[in-house]
Amino acid sequence: MGEVILTMKGIDKSFPGVHALDHVDLEVRKGEVHALMGENGAGKSTLMKVLTGIYKKDSGTITYEGKEVEFHNTREAQDAGVVIVHQELNMLGHLTVAQNIFIGREFKKGIRIDDKKMNEEAKKLFDRMHIDIDPKETMSRLTVGKQQMCEIAKAISHKAKVIIFDEPSAALTEAEIEELFKIIRDLREQGLGIVYISHRMDEIKVITDRVTVMRYGTYVGTLITKDSTKDDIINMMVGRVIYEDPKTQNMTPKGSPVVLKVEHLNAGKMVQDVSFELHKGEILGFSGLMGAGRTETARALFGADPMDSGDIYVNGQKVTIKSPQDAVKYGIGYLSEDRKRYGIVVQKSVAENTTMADLDAFANGPFIDKKKEKEIAEKYVESLATKTPSVDQLVVNLSGGNQQKVVIAKWLTRNCDILIFDEPTRGIDVGAKNEIYKLMNQLAAEGKAIIMISSEMTEILRMSDRIVVMCEGKKTGELDISEATQENIMNMATREIN
Amino acid sequence: MKKKVLAVLLGGCMVAGLLAGCGGGSSSTASTDSSSEGSEGGGGGYHFEVVVKSFQSTYWQAAITGVKAAADELGVTVNTTGPNNESDIADQVNMLNNAINQNPDGIALAANSQDAVLESLQSALDAGIPVVCFDTGVPDAPEGSVYATMATDNEAAGAVAAENMYEVIGDYIKNATEPVRIGEVNQDATSANISGRGMGFINKMKELIEADGKTVAVIGNQYYVDQVENNGDEGSADVIIEVAVPAQTTVELSATEASNIMNKEDTIAIFGSNQVTAEGVLTANQNLSVLAATPDEGIVGVGFDAGATIKAAVADGTLVGAVTQAPVDQGKLAIEALYDICEGNEVSDVATDAYWYDAENMEEDTIAPNLYD
Amino acid sequence: MANKTVSKTAGTNNRSFIDRMGGQKFIVILIVIALFILFCAMSPQFRKYTTVVSILDYSYYIALMAIGVTFPLLTAGVDLSIGTGLICYSLIGGYLIVHHDWPTGAGILVTILIGVVFGVINGCLVALMDLPAFLATLCTCMITRGLGSIVVGGYGIPWPTATQPGGWFRNIFKIQMDGMNIPIGFLWIVLLVIIMSFVLNHTKVGRYTLAIGSNKEATRLSGVNVKFYHVFAYVICGFFTGLAAIAYSAIFPTVQPGSGAGFELDAIGGAIIGGVSMTGGVGSITGTFAGVFVICLLKTGLPFIGLTANWQQIITGLVLIASVLIDILNRKKEGK
Repeated sequence: MGEVILTMKGIDKSFPGVHALDHVDLEVRKGEVHALMGENGAGKSTLMKVLTGIYKKDSGTITYEGKEVEFHNTREAQDAGVVIVHQELNMLGHLTVAQNIFIGREFKKGIRIDDKKMNEEAKKLFDRMHIDIDPKETMSRLTVGKQQMCEIAKAISHKAKVIIFDEPSAALTEAEIEELFKIIRDLREQGLGIVYISHRMDEIKVITDRVTVMRYGTYVGTLITKDSTKDDIINMMVGRVIYEDPKTQNMTPKGSPVVLKVEHLNAGKMVQDVSFELHKGEILGFSGLMGAGRTETARALFGADPMDSGDIYVNGQKVTIKSPQDAVKYGIGYLSEDRKRYGIVVQKSVAENTTMADLDAFANGPFIDKKKEKEIAEKYVESLATKTPSVDQLVVNLSGGNQQKVVIAKWLTRNCDILIFDEPTRGIDVGAKNEIYKLMNQLAAEGKAIIMISSEMTEILRMSDRIVVMCEGKKTGELDISEATQENIMNMATREIN
Repeated sequence: MKKKVLAVLLGGCMVAGLLAGCGGGSSSTASTDSSSEGSEGGGGGYHFEVVVKSFQSTYWQAAITGVKAAADELGVTVNTTGPNNESDIADQVNMLNNAINQNPDGIALAANSQDAVLESLQSALDAGIPVVCFDTGVPDAPEGSVYATMATDNEAAGAVAAENMYEVIGDYIKNATEPVRIGEVNQDATSANISGRGMGFINKMKELIEADGKTVAVIGNQYYVDQVENNGDEGSADVIIEVAVPAQTTVELSATEASNIMNKEDTIAIFGSNQVTAEGVLTANQNLSVLAATPDEGIVGVGFDAGATIKAAVADGTLVGAVTQAPVDQGKLAIEALYDICEGNEVSDVATDAYWYDAENMEEDTIAPNLYD
Repeated sequence: MANKTVSKTAGTNNRSFIDRMGGQKFIVILIVIALFILFCAMSPQFRKYTTVVSILDYSYYIALMAIGVTFPLLTAGVDLSIGTGLICYSLIGGYLIVHHDWPTGAGILVTILIGVVFGVINGCLVALMDLPAFLATLCTCMITRGLGSIVVGGYGIPWPTATQPGGWFRNIFKIQMDGMNIPIGFLWIVLLVIIMSFVLNHTKVGRYTLAIGSNKEATRLSGVNVKFYHVFAYVICGFFTGLAAIAYSAIFPTVQPGSGAGFELDAIGGAIIGGVSMTGGVGSITGTFAGVFVICLLKTGLPFIGLTANWQQIITGLVLIASVLIDILNRKKEGK
């Protein structure tokens, strides 16, 4: 590890309703890989956005190469050598690899773009990284892993001195991760400062030199990786919040009636012949890898996407569901994994979102009773402990957990007895996560039937009474929680592969 | 999917229903039918293509009436086309080229732009198709392509308006002690017809006033002001002629420009130099109620062209009178000229008359046929 | 819930004075007043009662179209067919009255009805068949333009004048009292603004119109019949275009086929000046109403202060850019 290249001190940043960063510190040295850790919503991404000029800090100082700096946009940061490799890839799929790498600063020959030189320069970059990618290849034809390499090449080509990796391994295969680590070690040898944001504890142990932990927008501490244990880091991340124990037995009351029965459901390639039953008061976990067809099953069942064939019975009655309207009529509510796109209307208020699914209950004929609407919204804000200044607050200003509660309120308002939670705690911080879990248990105890789609194994094992496992669009297994282990679920989830 | 198809069908039915319900009447289909019936080219007669300035105005419908009358009389077939708007220059050139490609025995053309049609006229010449212009001449046409032009002398038409207006306001001007104002609203400052008309009015009016020993200043739109010779000084002139041009060719904006002039204390007369601007003057008067038969009572209004609204205003004296061209004659003359060319006869240019009409002579035989609705 | 009450006060404090007064709407109303004072000061002709009546006369049809087109705009769509549509509906209705001796009332009903029908067509194309609104309504724009001309055979239609039999409808917008013209049409427009504001803010139709514009997919997944409400936004627009056609026929002596293209820009421009966002979900009827008067004042006032045609258009364009910029800057501020 060399000298300090970047220091962020006392960084403070607030958004309407959220204190996102509360006097956070971070120090990066030349030739180190510095992990930035914390649960979702801890403020890691916000901190990096402040550094690269996407957000303007409220207070605090940033010292880079011995001078105090403030970048006003990513371009300024890039020019100074601070580059971010994003989690979502910012690639223009129709252009070639080289065109992507040099976008915005193309080599010119007269007024013509010099593609030949760009290809040569890109080749040199790849050689330096010891990877083999054809610069002339169209970007969209590369694997996600290769695309990530191109992003890194682009970062290096900016003569970067500090590179920030924002969850780089999220979409990569084992082999690709190995390759990534090789490149990162190379860069470390060359004396670059590297910030590595990740959730994966084992990666942190393998690749990083130091770890800075954040929690709820505050700085918790910095550790030397090789001197600390996994538990040390987890304790710092989680704080006093203690996870509830995993469920050990099925909590559904004996002889509880079947409220939803799905038989031979088919919808496109992603849902093939799926059948299952859901009991009153039960939480049915849907486990599987990304792309196993769980969300697609839920969307078809909810009428959001068309189904090809299959039968659905609600409370023993055969029903036809062609649109979300039909589903809602039969008391089915769906909480999407992508709240911002599918769950809430961000520019509308808490109250308006709460009553979205059931305006009829608040309307005299075509007219909306705003007073009643407000009362109901306030009731749910209270009972779900939603943190919002008022029910008139725009939902966009709430944190992820509180947005989720607004969506739950929406379906509760509609008296839905069957609730489908698709990744209920994605993008929600640890404390709020726990609240959502409690709420789900409470709802189940009140007799609601819940389908919970989750990619987090701990979540599945902790919440479900029974577990359905899917792989490649097919149901590959069904387990009672008493017999479920991480290993046998994983086994089922990969059954169809190879 | 089924639903979507149903929706399309429904939409289609509604439109069809509308057409059948409202459009099935008499005149609506007549004008479109004539074009298809014409393209047959029957009975050994000649076939002519007619391209007008716009298919969508009453004026041009009157001209087409003349075209059809002549066609029936001479036993020839015609096909009439024209763009949506007089400003759709490119569309018209396209239509002219299509007409040439039909290889007719002759083409009658009322050009929206004198410059844009030159190339097409050359190809008509190359193809040996005779062209007769009506309403508007094409001065720079390739030698030999245009056999004759049947058009109103627009300068003379403007002068007719000035002479007749001066008959009403002349005495008032002679006896005036304070400066007075005469307004003119012109639809645009780009087309030869309108600007010729506008300048014809200005020059004649100036000449008449100066003959009575008074001085004149022309102010307002720069294009018109620049063309005035020996323009007087606004501060000292006895009579001010104010020229206004609306930002777009709508009745509303013409009315706004007219209101502005009609609101001025010293205004004694106003001239709207085509159908739209004359209607603008009338629209402005709805709120102002200042138009009158003599300058002592209010403002003297003079219009141009016909149409139901202007005719009604002339009949009830709101406008002291208006000038009408002879669109019916022009259409007729153009077809007759083409016929003569085909028969091997000589043809020559005809300057059609512009008529002054007022409440008294509206019903006369020379006037009435040219007063279209 | 201690933190609820604490943050409540914090929530209201950081709103600016302008925001509390209604945001962009407030600015627009100030602009209208400022423009009016400016024109009055610069032109003695403008200061007259008759000029005010004229401005109002020429504002009715734009205001009605603008109220209507606000609904498609709020769903993140647009309706470009309102200008040529207005002329088309008016031509057909007037044709029946003038050439087929229909009673005026029946002609008016037909005019409005055709507006509604084209609203349904536009709505079906956009909401059911997923055509981009720009494209779909551009097509109906052309269709209405051609249809009107075909029906009347190219001839202009003079709706009955106030003194002719059947001319009573002109008195809907203007009555004569002691030789003075009273522009009572303004009252009807204000009334409609109040009604449609209520519809937008207090009924399901309005709520779902805004929700569709903000996030159509989330609205659909809430079990809302988005197709119906999406179509309905265009039907409202068609209905108001029909009303605008009546207003236009009542104010102007003759309706000319082939005209009307460009009217929609005044209406859409007015809505946007009034704070309706082109990306949907944000806007108000009162804002649109105020925005329309900016356009109308500019159209009437600029000739009065002696500016020639070209300058009038340049200035109108600049005002539009300025108001759209205000909208974009506001949104950026919220985004951060």
